[in-house]
Amino acid sequence: MKLIIDIITGAYSLLAGMWVTIKAFFSPVVTVQYPRKVIDITPRFRGHIKLVSDQEDPSRMKCFVCGSCERACPSNSIKKVEGEKREGEKKKTVTSYILDFTTCSQCGLCVESCPVGAIDFSADYNPVGFRREDFCWDLVREFEKRRAAA
Amino acid sequence: MIDQIIDIIGVLNIRVAIGLANVLGLITISAMVLTWAERKVAGHMQRRIAAKEVGPFGLIQPVADVIKLLGKEMLTPADVEKPLYYLGPILIFVPVLVSFVVIPFDARLQVMDVNVGILVILAFSSLSVLSILIAGWGSNNKYSLIGSIRSVAQNIAYEIPLLLSLLAVVFMSNSLSMKEIVEAQNDVWYVFKQPIAFLIFFIACVAETNRTPFDLPEGESELVAGYHTEYSGMRFALFFLAEYTSMLIVSAVATTLFLGGYKGPVLPGVVWFLGKTYFLVFLMLWFRWTFPRVRFDQLLNFSWKILMPLSFLNLIATGALLKL
Amino acid sequence: MLEKIRAELPELSISEVSYPERGYHLAMDAGREQILKVVGFFDKNGFYLEDLFCVDYVEYLELVYFFNNHCGLFRVKTVVRLEPDKPTAPTISDIYAIAHWYEREIHEFFGVYFENHPNLAYLFLHDGLDSYPLRKGTVKVPEEDRKLLGSGAYKESEDTFFVNLGPQHPSTHGVLRVVIKMDGEYILSAEPMLGYLHRMHEKMAENRNYAQFLPNPGRMDYLSALNFNLAYVETVEKISGIIVPERAQYIRTITCELNRISSHLLWLGAFLADLGGLTPFLYAFDDRENILDILEGVTGSRLTYSYFRFGGLFNDVDEKFADGTRAFLERMWKRLDIYDQLITKNVIFINRTKGVGILERDMVRKFGCSGPVIRGSGVPFDMRKLEPYAAYQHTDFEIPVAQNGDILDRYMIRVKEIETSLRIIGSALEKLPAGPFNAEKVPKKLKPPKGDVYHTVESPRGQLGVYLVSDGSETPHRMRWRVPSYSNLMTFPFLAQGVLIADAVAILGSLDLVIPEIDR
Repeated sequence: MKLIIDIITGAYSLLAGMWVTIKAFFSPVVTVQYPRKVIDITPRFRGHIKLVSDQEDPSRMKCFVCGSCERACPSNSIKKVEGEKREGEKKKTVTSYILDFTTCSQCGLCVESCPVGAIDFSADYNPVGFRREDFCWDLVREFEKRRAAA
Repeated sequence: MIDQIIDIIGVLNIRVAIGLANVLGLITISAMVLTWAERKVAGHMQRRIAAKEVGPFGLIQPVADVIKLLGKEMLTPADVEKPLYYLGPILIFVPVLVSFVVIPFDARLQVMDVNVGILVILAFSSLSVLSILIAGWGSNNKYSLIGSIRSVAQNIAYEIPLLLSLLAVVFMSNSLSMKEIVEAQNDVWYVFKQPIAFLIFFIACVAETNRTPFDLPEGESELVAGYHTEYSGMRFALFFLAEYTSMLIVSAVATTLFLGGYKGPVLPGVVWFLGKTYFLVFLMLWFRWTFPRVRFDQLLNFSWKILMPLSFLNLIATGALLKL
Repeated sequence: MLEKIRAELPELSISEVSYPERGYHLAMDAGREQILKVVGFFDKNGFYLEDLFCVDYVEYLELVYFFNNHCGLFRVKTVVRLEPDKPTAPTISDIYAIAHWYEREIHEFFGVYFENHPNLAYLFLHDGLDSYPLRKGTVKVPEEDRKLLGSGAYKESEDTFFVNLGPQHPSTHGVLRVVIKMDGEYILSAEPMLGYLHRMHEKMAENRNYAQFLPNPGRMDYLSALNFNLAYVETVEKISGIIVPERAQYIRTITCELNRISSHLLWLGAFLADLGGLTPFLYAFDDRENILDILEGVTGSRLTYSYFRFGGLFNDVDEKFADGTRAFLERMWKRLDIYDQLITKNVIFINRTKGVGILERDMVRKFGCSGPVIRGSGVPFDMRKLEPYAAYQHTDFEIPVAQNGDILDRYMIRVKEIETSLRIIGSALEKLPAGPFNAEKVPKKLKPPKGDVYHTVESPRGQLGVYLVSDGSETPHRMRWRVPSYSNLMTFPFLAQGVLIADAVAILGSLDLVIPEIDR
């Protein structure tokens, strides 16, 4: 007798499972067909870092080459930050900021350590290249490219 | 129209030849359609779109798959037993092809109406057991051998409930010929008169074709891929085609025996037959994407301890009821 | 308890330690000859071996044993001092089975020889190394001691053969290789081989300062990265005496519980893919995407978060987070029905998992298992209740416990833990206080005072412990991670004896292993 009850409950459980799948079969898909449809990226997304422009003078960058970000990075991704002191300005201006993105782990220690907030995460979620050198950027040049495009 | 065409080609041999060619074409196209259907059904049950890039709705995907498989190198590993290794894929594909000879697609659309049709089908399905063993042994690989031995044990275990539930239908229709069984379901289909036999027959069919939940021989999450590990290229394609075609043939047999074959109002019989067959095939696909796998000893227990006594009791009850 | 120890072991020097500051109750100093007696005493009184490792103070080596109790919290640290050349110690692997593997690890990293050890072979490293990695200076390895596991050739006899449940797995465990000796369908013995993902996180900790180590815990167990982050951050806060504001504690709790749910969902999908049902994997990932979207909106990453900082968080949460989480909670309560119907009640699933892989209570104690593995065997041991951290004491929840110890019980506990986490998140969200999210005056270059501290956290897989030794400088002297999957994995050779290989795969899946955290 117990065997028959077991068989019937077993069969019912299988049918209940099949009902779940067939309901899913007729429901809309939950996937997004990526290259043809792009989802918006959240503003807090941690892409690679970028140099931030000064609020008063948008043609200048805030960075004054203190080197805290270079020291804070655990993976030595920020290779060399160099700058020069120009005439009539109190602080240095950055001329070259090499970032090696292949070793960056997006931890945010550099962003946190900057005393003036001169670097921030970008929303660039799909940088593409064919060689490792394609991911070694000079952020000063990227800044100028962004300003020229805007 | 169909009658006139058939009368013109009255000679038996020509009829059989044409029929075989048609059946071959049908099987090839069906197998290709089934691979596409499997991916689509799997995708939608998992709430994603599967196979959409190649052609509209991915309809040309099977063509791409065939071209890929044809283009692959047919490696022969060094230590295999050559005759058995080459024989395996062929032997697994031919019985299924031949079984299609006796299936009635319509009242006059049957390649050859043998008066022991069911016996022909059963005989050839038993041959497939042998071919699995040959494929596994010939590969000279311990994993393939384990997989093929499991598959043989499974097939043998599930043949008996298959046979017994089938016999119940034969009792009721008094004939072994497929056409006459369909004709005997003129008033009501056998699935209503013999529901238990239908269930047992269908479960045994799923086990015979090594589909989930009974697909331990080709269990992907365990030791490699079972008895077709060592095959590549077109030989592997033959194994694949054989699996989908055997799904088709067991659904066709189940339709003829239980669901009334080509009988149905309004539409031509072929449409009804193909519709019912593909519905059963869809049921098999549905099973695959819903259930986990049954463990091997539980599988054998299920067949020997539950299905066989049940089908035996069903047979006795049918015989008793018919006599009274 | 202290009196009992003093009574039975009078010759040892025992000192009481302040638990809130250091994380353990008692510190004992034993000599090499007395350690067996001490270990025997703890075994008789129902303690389990929580951790066993070595610390290199250049003039001497210290073998540290941590004992704890499943029934009540009482952590004892026992220390054995060894001399730096050719250090030897007796093995305790016949008393506590898990010590076998701990001692092998200590041997290959520090060069400590254990007398009477059955098989002192390399566990993580390869035999091409010249010196012991975790020693402070360069100490050369003698040629005859470079023994890999498996250097003794596998002898195939007539009926048995060896199979590799290889490093490439169809299911998401990580890279684990298990060498199984089989007789037909049944398994005679199974031996896990580790080290495929070894990245020397413990050595990295000695070469970076405290802030620079922050990305590393998330890479150890990437499925529950926030829990590992929390363990590290809270350990450093404990040793430096930083107080975290209330709002940060609550947000830490909420995000850690969200991470726990996502880890359990991934386990569910992978476990069922092992068993052959491939559809629930996709359903679980659909739910997991929601969680990942919510956490991406807060932290900016989807898998390997480094969101916590010493004294609080990297950034604050906004209203979108609270709304998104509430919507997720509503959706998840309804989705649990799908898993119930499709999996839990399914007769094929129940037959596969009931009565299989039973783990008894005594074995749990010998191995020091934790997490759902131990709760499935009837021991209500959860660090969130025993040693509450973050905001867990302010939230109201029950921990699920089962009695049988088979796979079905462990599965049911994890599903109920998802429900528990949903309740914790709900109640924490309601009580979320306003306020600062960071402690003020945290020094940029953290230099904690000298000393050691032990802190535990409940990760989705079990008890995660961090032991930190600071020598007053910017970089830690030694950091030891006690990972839960290590002790859970080592029960597998015992559980897998005499079962079919299908069952072995199911057992391995039910232990919820993540190999990167074992390999560190």
